[in-house]
Amino acid sequence: MEGGSADRAGMTRRRRARRLLLSVIGLLYVISIPWYREPGASPEIWFGFPDWVAVALACYVGVAVCNATAWWLTEVRDDDPDGAPR
Amino acid sequence: MSFEWLGLGALGLYLVGLFAVARIARRARRDETAADHFLAARDLGVFVLFLTLYATAYSGNSLLGYPGEAYRRGFSFIMATGFMMSIIVCFHALVPVLRPVASANGFVTPGDWIRHRFGREPGGRALLLGVAVLMTIALANFLLAQLTAMGHVSSQVTGGLVPFWLGVVGLAAVILYYETLGGMRAVAWTDAAQAILMLLGLAALLWWLLTSAGGMEAVTREIAAVRPDAVRVPDRTEQANWISTIVLLGLASVVYPQAIQRIYAARSGRALSRSLALMSFMPLATTLVVTLIGLAAIGHFGNLEGVEADMVMPRLLGSWAEAGPVSTIFAVVVFIGALAAIMSTADSVLLSLGSMLSEDLLDRPRSADSTAATGKWLAAVVLLGMVALALGPRFTLWHLIELKMELLIQCVPAFLLAARWSGLRARPAFFGLVAGTAIAIGGVWLGFERVGGIHMGVLSLLVNLCIAVAGSLAVRRGLESQQASS
Repeated sequence: MEGGSADRAGMTRRRRARRLLLSVIGLLYVISIPWYREPGASPEIWFGFPDWVAVALACYVGVAVCNATAWWLTEVRDDDPDGAPR
Repeated sequence: MSFEWLGLGALGLYLVGLFAVARIARRARRDETAADHFLAARDLGVFVLFLTLYATAYSGNSLLGYPGEAYRRGFSFIMATGFMMSIIVCFHALVPVLRPVASANGFVTPGDWIRHRFGREPGGRALLLGVAVLMTIALANFLLAQLTAMGHVSSQVTGGLVPFWLGVVGLAAVILYYETLGGMRAVAWTDAAQAILMLLGLAALLWWLLTSAGGMEAVTREIAAVRPDAVRVPDRTEQANWISTIVLLGLASVVYPQAIQRIYAARSGRALSRSLALMSFMPLATTLVVTLIGLAAIGHFGNLEGVEADMVMPRLLGSWAEAGPVSTIFAVVVFIGALAAIMSTADSVLLSLGSMLSEDLLDRPRSADSTAATGKWLAAVVLLGMVALALGPRFTLWHLIELKMELLIQCVPAFLLAARWSGLRARPAFFGLVAGTAIAIGGVWLGFERVGGIHMGVLSLLVNLCIAVAGSLAVRRGLESQQASS
């Protein structure tokens, strides 16, 4: 019984962490687009890229890390014949 | 040895390797069932599954179309790295629901999900047909893009010794041969080898470009001097298009038939989630690299326009090959890697087409011995049609990608929404799909492909979703009032 409830608690923690990571991914996508910059502005160069491109790239690196972690935490089962939407 | 003859030799060697893999895959088959041919008996482990997902996702579009589009649009095409990542993000909405039910019920085609989810409810068959027709058209378009790219690359790698038309026709015949002989097993194994070649080749090309130009900062400054607009903060329309492209490609790519079939073909759910975790990083290793290659080409070449810009990658490779004997060998490796990537996508498309045409569109029973054979024949007929179209390239590769996605995205409610909302009904989902498709096609037909930067496919998806959701709620209310009155 204790093992079962520990498993359930672990699963809930993983599910919460996964949701948090997916929210962070959404936020990173919003930041990646330079909507907060003046269109047509000449950029500075950061790490070899125009600054707005460097920001977008940093966001995409963050998305890759968060997404990989989220997949690592995702339990994909092999045994649900009904496949009820949830 | 000259570049042309070295290229021809490498091409010959590569094709011999493909034939050998097909023969070995043929011997490895367990039976003659559709599941064995189309899904490699559902036994793809993490490593092969990851590489086949990778090789399938990164195609001729990525290797020729993306550098071409980066060359045309400048740094704003950095969005490509974001939208390729969004595909793996969007899979979170589908895989945890689809995989268990597919595994338990022995799914083979995308239509199996529709049959299972909507059963015999009114409109179920119509929805299945609608989805199958859209997916078939999208796959045929995808095949056309791969064939066009195959012709360009084989002609370039052999310095014209293999003309464009022979590259298209000859390589199409090779794909048909090894796919028919070895099925998904041959496709997955060749995908794995092709993915490794592609990664090595692209890394070498980027290294050459950056070192010969004096580093990334020098490349950026050169672009700013040649084409200042390519470096400036994009305007609002381009920013809206950035968001729209992430939504369009992220959602539509999730319902790629060949991607769905790889969900089915995984050995286990764990193998699938691990493969997708690894896939999260591949846009940085591939899409970003090809985007930078396209950007670096701005400084190398003058003003290439339209279809011509799709040739920036082969042209760069040609320049690289002239730099010395070592770079000649590397350039040939990249060419073969690019060709491998293109062929690996084309073979996956062909395999999916075969299963969908015979089972989803024609409704042939899976248990019948002739079903897999019928699928192979029908796929061959579509391939022949696309070969004929590919011999006169009229569209840029990027344009073909957008057209395909505008159609595929209309299938999203039938998969993603259906997986997450039990209230979705077949008939409203079908009407939504028809309305969404009509608006998307009508928009393209009338020249309104984008409205304020937003793709017509994304706008029509909103209409599609509204009809599917509102109609499903109305059906439920109707049923509830019927029950109350009885």
